[in-house]
Amino acid sequence: MNKHINLLLLATENILRHKTKTVVVCLCIVAILSPFITAIAISEGIREQSLISVGESADLYLTYDEFGRNAAVPLKYLDEIKKIFGVTKAIPRIIGRGYLQNKLAVIVGIRREDIPPSVSCISGRVFEHAHEVIVGYELANHFQLHPGDQFSMRGQQRKTFTVTGLFSADSSIWGASMILMSFQDAGELFGKQDVATDIQIYTLPGHNSAIAADLYDIFQNEPYRIQDKQMIETYFKKGFMLKEGIFTALYTIAFALGIPAILVASGFGLSERRREIGIMKATGWNTLEVLELISFEQIFISLLGAVTAIVLSILWVKLFHGAFIAQFFVAEMPMLPKFTLPSRFLPLPCLLSFFFAFLLTMVGSIYSSWRASVEPPVISMK
Amino acid sequence: MIRTENLGKYYTSHSHHEVHAVRDVTITISKNSFVILKGPSGSGKTTLLNIIGTLDRPTEGRVRMCGEDITSFSDIALSRLRREKIGFIFQDFHLIPYLATWENVSYPLVPLGIDIRKRFERAKTLLEKVGLGDRLDHTPEELSGGQQQRVAIARALINNPEILIADEPTSNIDEETGEHIVEILTEQKSHGATILVATHDTRFERVADVIFRLKDGKLE
Ligand SMILES: Nc1ncnc2c1ncn2[C@@H]1O[C@H](COP(=O)(O)OP(=O)(O)OP(=O)(O)O)[C@@H](O)[C@H]1O
Ligand SMILES: [Mg+2]
Repeated sequence: MNKHINLLLLATENILRHKTKTVVVCLCIVAILSPFITAIAISEGIREQSLISVGESADLYLTYDEFGRNAAVPLKYLDEIKKIFGVTKAIPRIIGRGYLQNKLAVIVGIRREDIPPSVSCISGRVFEHAHEVIVGYELANHFQLHPGDQFSMRGQQRKTFTVTGLFSADSSIWGASMILMSFQDAGELFGKQDVATDIQIYTLPGHNSAIAADLYDIFQNEPYRIQDKQMIETYFKKGFMLKEGIFTALYTIAFALGIPAILVASGFGLSERRREIGIMKATGWNTLEVLELISFEQIFISLLGAVTAIVLSILWVKLFHGAFIAQFFVAEMPMLPKFTLPSRFLPLPCLLSFFFAFLLTMVGSIYSSWRASVEPPVISMK
Repeated sequence: MIRTENLGKYYTSHSHHEVHAVRDVTITISKNSFVILKGPSGSGKTTLLNIIGTLDRPTEGRVRMCGEDITSFSDIALSRLRREKIGFIFQDFHLIPYLATWENVSYPLVPLGIDIRKRFERAKTLLEKVGLGDRLDHTPEELSGGQQQRVAIARALINNPEILIADEPTSNIDEETGEHIVEILTEQKSHGATILVATHDTRFERVADVIFRLKDGKLE
């Protein structure tokens, strides 16, 4: 036991003693691992978000179809839809975009009672009267908006809104740069009365096909379109995988360049190392002990590299919003509003990164060390 | 104690010329004797010591140590033999350049699981013995050749070896220090060690029990 402790301590000393080599190897590890960890974190974040939002979302989405795109649905059918057997709730929404000064914001018009439970006011209260809105905290922060403040959207100076509260949401689909207002106000803002951009239909399990048949009777020749949860989920995943594929391809190239670099770097000072191993062997060390020492060194150096890479990735995501990497993952969403970049650093990818770094540095050092160690010491000491 | 049988070591040079560094050497070294090996430069002294000290393998013949044929030993068994029985003082020191003298001296103790304080104490005692008590924290490049030689001697003594092999231990050293080294080796012998020294230094002849002479790799 003491022997292993001694070797461990000696390995740390060696790592500190050979600073240049340590730094170079760490940099190589960081260069290879950081993009990988960042990408995994973003993709995990998005996956989690999409699951939450799909779980929270309606069973059916109803829109009109205009030139193959989603278009507004007239509200006059709402009561009929609510009466269909198996429909538990039908929520009309208006989702649109507008500029608040120079920043694009997502505007959601929804009846007060239909606001999803995951949206909660962190200050102030939910809108009650006309021209009252609640604002996502990120947007509020950006414009220094507080409850009681008033603002107008660009190009709509006649309409003034009063902030009654700021909200945050568990799922960032109900995003941080969003403005929530009453259905009525949104209709007025976009100049479209008696229509919704979509109607969210919540149903009892197993009734979807019967409901679809009833909807057909209601709309008859109207150009309507229904999408269900699975479709949205599939769309989400498809976009996601496609982009992920592009990233993987690019990453593979970077990776192929990085590996030789790391091998060269960890083989740095090999002839000196060989001589040192010869001396160790000549003075009574055995091959296993030599290899144990070298392995400990590689463990430390890869641990150092992997931790640096993880810290850098966190900074990359949090401070630079995953620049150059995020765009590979954020697929366009038809139904759900845009959201800020989610990320999730799971222990497994971090652990894998460490093992990977360890593997690489080991490949770069263990074979040559083993060779040096089993040679007669006079040869390796030369 | 040690017996070589028809030992031979051949090298093939770049010009495909075969060099017989050691040829057909058969010697017996008895326990607790002081043996010196003489011979002109290039006569094969270092080669022979390396083979006896298990640092090199012979091309032909065998070496027996305490009755065992060590030429057939595995890598791990050889390491063990070096650790438990042999102390080797190299002609060109072979110190690790970035380690302080005390660390160099106590390096063989690291894989034995001896803690750092004890390692330091043992190294300090030995370095004081070779007259370098005030150079514990210096690195080899801060030392003169003679001082490095003495660090190498201290390191060879760290395991209290039964067999002490020294390759020209006084060649880089002034008169007085040379005398001191002769004394140290003699003292080891008095503690029961077997000493094998390759040297031109006539001072060793006073204390030697046996003298072998090599010429062109052969025993004279
Ligand atoms: N690695 C090698 N390759 C080729 N020839 C070698 C090698 N090592 C030693 N020799 C040759 O073997 C012969 C014996 O060398 P060795 O070093 O044993 O001599 P030595 O008696 O120790 O000499 P010195 O007194 O100069 O140290 C020399 O002729 C040398 O050229
Ligand atoms: Mg020699």
